[in-house]
Amino acid sequence: MVGPVSGHRVVVTGMGVVTPLGSEVKAFLDGLVAGRSGVRKISIFDTASLPTKIAGQSELPPDAPLGDRKIAFALEAARQAMADAGFAAAAPQSDAVVSMGVGLELFHMENLVARRAPGFEPPSDLRGRLGFLQTPSDVCVHLLAKRYGFAAPPLVHVSACAAGTDAIGAAYRLIATGRRRVALAGGTDSMINPLGVAGFCALTATTLRNDEPEKASRPFDRTRDGFVMGEGAGALVLERYEDAIARGATLYAEIAGYGTSFDAYKIADPHPEGRGAFLAMSRALADARITPADVDAVNAHGTGTPKNDPAETCALKTLLGERAHKVPISATKSMIGHLISAAGAVETVASIGCMLRGVVHPTINLHEPDPACDLDYVPLVARDHRQRHVVSSSYGFGGHNASIVIRHPELLAP
Amino acid sequence: MTLVTAMASVVLEPGQTCDPSRYLREKKAKKFLGLQDALAVVAAGQALEAAGLWGTLPAERTGLYVAVGYIPAALRDFLPVLEGSLDAEGRFSLERFAADGYMRAHPLLAFRCLPNMPAYHVAVSFGIEGPYSVLYPSAGELYLALDEACSALARGEIDVAVVVGVAHQRNFLVEHHFQRVVPPVPVERLRDGGAAFVLERDARPGLGPVRARLQALDVRYEPFDCLELVPSHAEELEIEGARHPVDLEIGPASPLVAVQGALAAGGGRVVHRLASRDGIRATSEWWAL
Repeated sequence: MVGPVSGHRVVVTGMGVVTPLGSEVKAFLDGLVAGRSGVRKISIFDTASLPTKIAGQSELPPDAPLGDRKIAFALEAARQAMADAGFAAAAPQSDAVVSMGVGLELFHMENLVARRAPGFEPPSDLRGRLGFLQTPSDVCVHLLAKRYGFAAPPLVHVSACAAGTDAIGAAYRLIATGRRRVALAGGTDSMINPLGVAGFCALTATTLRNDEPEKASRPFDRTRDGFVMGEGAGALVLERYEDAIARGATLYAEIAGYGTSFDAYKIADPHPEGRGAFLAMSRALADARITPADVDAVNAHGTGTPKNDPAETCALKTLLGERAHKVPISATKSMIGHLISAAGAVETVASIGCMLRGVVHPTINLHEPDPACDLDYVPLVARDHRQRHVVSSSYGFGGHNASIVIRHPELLAP
Repeated sequence: MTLVTAMASVVLEPGQTCDPSRYLREKKAKKFLGLQDALAVVAAGQALEAAGLWGTLPAERTGLYVAVGYIPAALRDFLPVLEGSLDAEGRFSLERFAADGYMRAHPLLAFRCLPNMPAYHVAVSFGIEGPYSVLYPSAGELYLALDEACSALARGEIDVAVVVGVAHQRNFLVEHHFQRVVPPVPVERLRDGGAAFVLERDARPGLGPVRARLQALDVRYEPFDCLELVPSHAEELEIEGARHPVDLEIGPASPLVAVQGALAAGGGRVVHRLASRDGIRATSEWWAL
């Protein structure tokens, strides 16, 4: 029987999402399995003069404190996850923690103009001041902690594109080691604002395939030319296996292992052989006490950038050896774009949902595989595939690598 | 048991600069570093040097646990963008911003202020490939990074933990933040600083000289309505039973700066207490060895 290196088994008992494919888990999974794209023309603001005009845009929930989209997404994903887990707002629990990957702070250029006007007075109340010029990113974790009575110190992860996976991994670790009993973990982000989109344009990191939004995100395809921005949130309720059983909760999956690493290579490029990615995945496998032979599927980082995809492919070949060509690898970003700090959380939900349905979702827009990307990325069409262990990975700008191992609940028999 | 084999801190007086060149693996990388990155690299470099681990770190067995302060930016970083984004009446124009304004930003601005960059620069400068936590934006979060570092050492996941707290606070954006909280924090109390502790397990063969022992660590939190109130902030040191308030605010670097100063000054038993504006309450007890 496999089991965690540290003390307690950690299970997922609730999930919620806000994504470009829908703002609830079933719609999201249906869209993924159907191979639908959620990428479209940006409608939140006028992009006429910007090089990038498309993104994976999500619907803004009605509860949007400070007008900050990522806060609204986090609150909505968490609401779904807590309801799904059967948790209501409760008295503060000192062993319950919020662990969130949170995107960059929203900056309002127009406020910069306003404060230069003669006689300018800043907003008088705290709420107004927090929304003026720039909204602190940690606001959403405190709102969640207050709303649900999660009274252990909250973790605010800022490891770039790895933050969502790190938030889930850190929560898993806290529960597995007995330091916490329950966690609300995930990630939230929205960079679909003038400064965010312009910033990525300036870095020339995003695709310019504006005329065909649905076809723009092309992980592992020879014709890929950059990633598509996305926005949204994913939230999961994690708790001790024995606690979940005791209260009769639905067990969606076990988080069985977590591993991280630094590339320690270059500021904007992954290690070309995927050394850091390999280290993170192999550490997650060791933590879960499984071998590469136990890996049934992979949810790839799969950004569709020229440098990520071959590096990730190298890492997977190093990890899986001869089995590398036999393990299906799905790139969720082909359908929803790159949700940055939320990506790992949303992709964890995708991995769990597909595992439970016995299917691997496709990597869409993969018509001409890059010769350097020669593994089985499940091109174009979903496939029935039984999975007991799935590896989901996120690799961040700056060389942060994070992987988790997700185990099917059928292996949780006492 | 967690042992401290080296400590270092850099706290700048207003107007002072911080040169990380000595510790950079590639000197040409210096242009990518903002002040928070430089402070983190210098503090980590000084600590690793003192521990005898500079250049000899076990790359895959070293973890990096970082807490970073609020995103810094100077007004001068924004002004060119703003000037290129105004219409004829002096109002912000999205059209002008998209056509001209955004291209006036310094091309390296994002690299110099992103909160994960201090961790990147420390990792690449000293060859750290182990596990990590990168947390934000308070001294309370530094305590959570420290807690995970101790746990990773205790689990045997790593042999060496580098814990870094860093904050670039004397700038337009962070000063704006501290002016809007209740009560506002006078700019004079803010400092830019970085601090790093090298932690090791007591069982490791070839352990370096031990400076101190982390005897106890306690981190708590009280949920609060962050749109309506700001919890009070207080920080103090207890050195051999005598209490001393910590007046300067150095963000996530504050606890390590305070403890390092007390231990370096000969404090035998040092207790650090923190009440952070994000509702985190923490206490740590350190014994000089």
